[in-house]
Amino acid sequence: MKATIERATLLRCLSHVQSVVERRNTIPILSNVLLDASDGGTLKVMATDLDLQVVENIAAASVESAGAITVSAHLLFDIARKLQEGSQVSLETAENRMTVKAGRSRFSLPTLPRDDFPVIVEGDLPTSFELPAKTLAELIDRTRFAISTEETRYYLNGIFLHVSDEDQPVLKAAATDGHRLARFTIPRPDGAEGMPDVIVPRKAVAELRKLLEEALDGNVQIDLSASKIRFTLGGEGGVVLTSKLIDGTFPDYSRVIPTGNDKLLRLDPKSFYEGVDRVATIATEKTRAVKMGLDNDKVTLSVTSPDNGTAAEEVPADYRADGMEIGFNANYLKDILHQIDGDTVELHLADPGAPTLIRQDEKSPALYVLMPMRV
Amino acid sequence: MASEEDDDGEEAQGLRKIIHVDMDAFFASVEQRDDPSLRGKPVAVGGSGGRGVVAAASYEARKFGVRSAMPGMTARRLCPDLIFVRHRFDVYKEISRQIRAIFRDYTPHVEPLSLDEAYLDVTDDLKGIGSATQIAQDIRRRIREDTQLTASAGVSYNKFLAKLASDQNKPDGICVIRPGQGAAFVQSLPIRRFHGVGPKGAEKMARLGIETGADLAAKDHAWLRAHFGSFADYLYRAARGIDLRPVRANRIRKSVGGERTFGEDISSGPLLRETLDNIIEIVWESIERTQAKGRTVTLKMKYTDFQIMTRAKSLPRAVADKAEFAGLARALLDEALPLPLPIRLMGLTMSNLERDGQVERPRDDAQLSLL
Repeated sequence: MKATIERATLLRCLSHVQSVVERRNTIPILSNVLLDASDGGTLKVMATDLDLQVVENIAAASVESAGAITVSAHLLFDIARKLQEGSQVSLETAENRMTVKAGRSRFSLPTLPRDDFPVIVEGDLPTSFELPAKTLAELIDRTRFAISTEETRYYLNGIFLHVSDEDQPVLKAAATDGHRLARFTIPRPDGAEGMPDVIVPRKAVAELRKLLEEALDGNVQIDLSASKIRFTLGGEGGVVLTSKLIDGTFPDYSRVIPTGNDKLLRLDPKSFYEGVDRVATIATEKTRAVKMGLDNDKVTLSVTSPDNGTAAEEVPADYRADGMEIGFNANYLKDILHQIDGDTVELHLADPGAPTLIRQDEKSPALYVLMPMRV
Repeated sequence: MASEEDDDGEEAQGLRKIIHVDMDAFFASVEQRDDPSLRGKPVAVGGSGGRGVVAAASYEARKFGVRSAMPGMTARRLCPDLIFVRHRFDVYKEISRQIRAIFRDYTPHVEPLSLDEAYLDVTDDLKGIGSATQIAQDIRRRIREDTQLTASAGVSYNKFLAKLASDQNKPDGICVIRPGQGAAFVQSLPIRRFHGVGPKGAEKMARLGIETGADLAAKDHAWLRAHFGSFADYLYRAARGIDLRPVRANRIRKSVGGERTFGEDISSGPLLRETLDNIIEIVWESIERTQAKGRTVTLKMKYTDFQIMTRAKSLPRAVADKAEFAGLARALLDEALPLPLPIRLMGLTMSNLERDGQVERPRDDAQLSLL
């Protein structure tokens, strides 16, 4: 294989794929990136962790001899980062080595054969639809913070996607860690009807979100089966992310979304967020709870820490129901408020031991459920 | 090697009944239980790979001088027929859950120290038995019935004495130190049996003419202060069998670590790295034993002028495995080289611990669950 490519192009492409590669691997070839130069003048770059793979085709390469090889992803990325801006990088293989040349620099890197490089077998992906990249990015942003990191309930380690027929057909994304739930609903895209329920793993979500950031103006093609999902960004010659799906059953989360909470609190999400953030300054690992005292048209936020003293702040609010006190994990509350863009946020409360529903308003596509803490 | 105890200065009131339960050669006994071909033979759990240290040794192996935290190669030299087996932490954890469940039948005041030992405060036991000795015997019998393993128990009126007592008639033994007997018991002990007094500490004591608890009790507080600094308070009380620390069921361990004082001062890079590698082995072993997961690794060194230097590195998440722990520790040492002075002590600690999903985590009950 011999190919030449502009340094910036190579660097951008490697930055897309290298984060898939785990820093520490027991299988050596998983540390590597596959480089596949074809006669047409494209260089295919691919990385995998066996559950997730990212492939990018660079069209702007000049290929003198076709071929494929694998080299350490992080080495090549670090080299590309440090090479001079604007330089042309030549990649050439000979005798189990790959030579990287640019300007006066020359590296000779160990390689592993391409035939050993594992590729995820996609199989048939019968469901296909498109989403604007912006919509997909918002869907991820509004839900991913609630994804569980607890490995015992592995089926919560991702975003659950499913379609349903309500007043109109919808596609819903949901994530929960057992303490809070985030749901984002959009009209069902054409082609998504009859799709299987799927759970997209956390790492795939994170990698996809990074790729979307550079392609927010386009559409994303999504193809899936019950076991695999493929996201294609930027059409032909773009980036393709393929991931295995979490093999498990997402719990029936709709039953924890309260429908009869009759105490309505409305306030400005920004001053609410800032108030929570301020009083939580004295909270410690042990006392993450912020107490909310609800009174006629005001909320008193307070934190009591055995080590750090006390803090309190009054936030103006729109509240008419009976006074009550309820506690929440300050960080969970901030995570949710961070996702509210408008001038008001609605909290629908029942009692200090029951789930609270939080949303911008009834038309908002995003909905959050937060379980209180005992205070 | 001294391990770190978190002490928040809280003191217990009144006369208490404390039991220290300690499984006998726990990991090794589990392996012998599950593999009959190992029974009656010298067995070491862990320590087979290059630099590894022995995590536990069976009593047959201990006859040859094999001890836990000893490098595998040393153990093999002492006992050429030693059988090395891999540890199975999942199994040990499960048994640990079983025995803690037994403890909690008698008292909610259970303070686990690691998978295989715990303090119990049975001053007001749940079954109304009243006799701590009777409870300790009950617990030992139930552990034997439920797990086919033996445990030793120490019964006394504080943690320090209960722990000394459980060690007194090991294995499969019990020892009771009644109120009024504590001081006499402690004074008969060689100083090395005191928790926190390591081989180097014992050497120093010997130089100062202290061989036993009685020798220690003969010294006044000011004298101890002059020779042992902040360690004096502990020594003064220990020599009199006094320990007011309560049994803390909700105790949240803040760090796991250990340190070693050297016979001679060390300054050369290769020797420092070799020393660090030994400490990594030993400390990682106690990390595994406590099943702690932490984000911060701290390297501590004491120079020959007694100045203490510490350096720490933190990850955004818990340290994943021994390789990562070792990598962080080595990077800390490399950054500290070259040293301005030779050192006489080196230690490693892992802190910023994540709390285990067990009963030892009461605050989390405050967060209610959706699902």
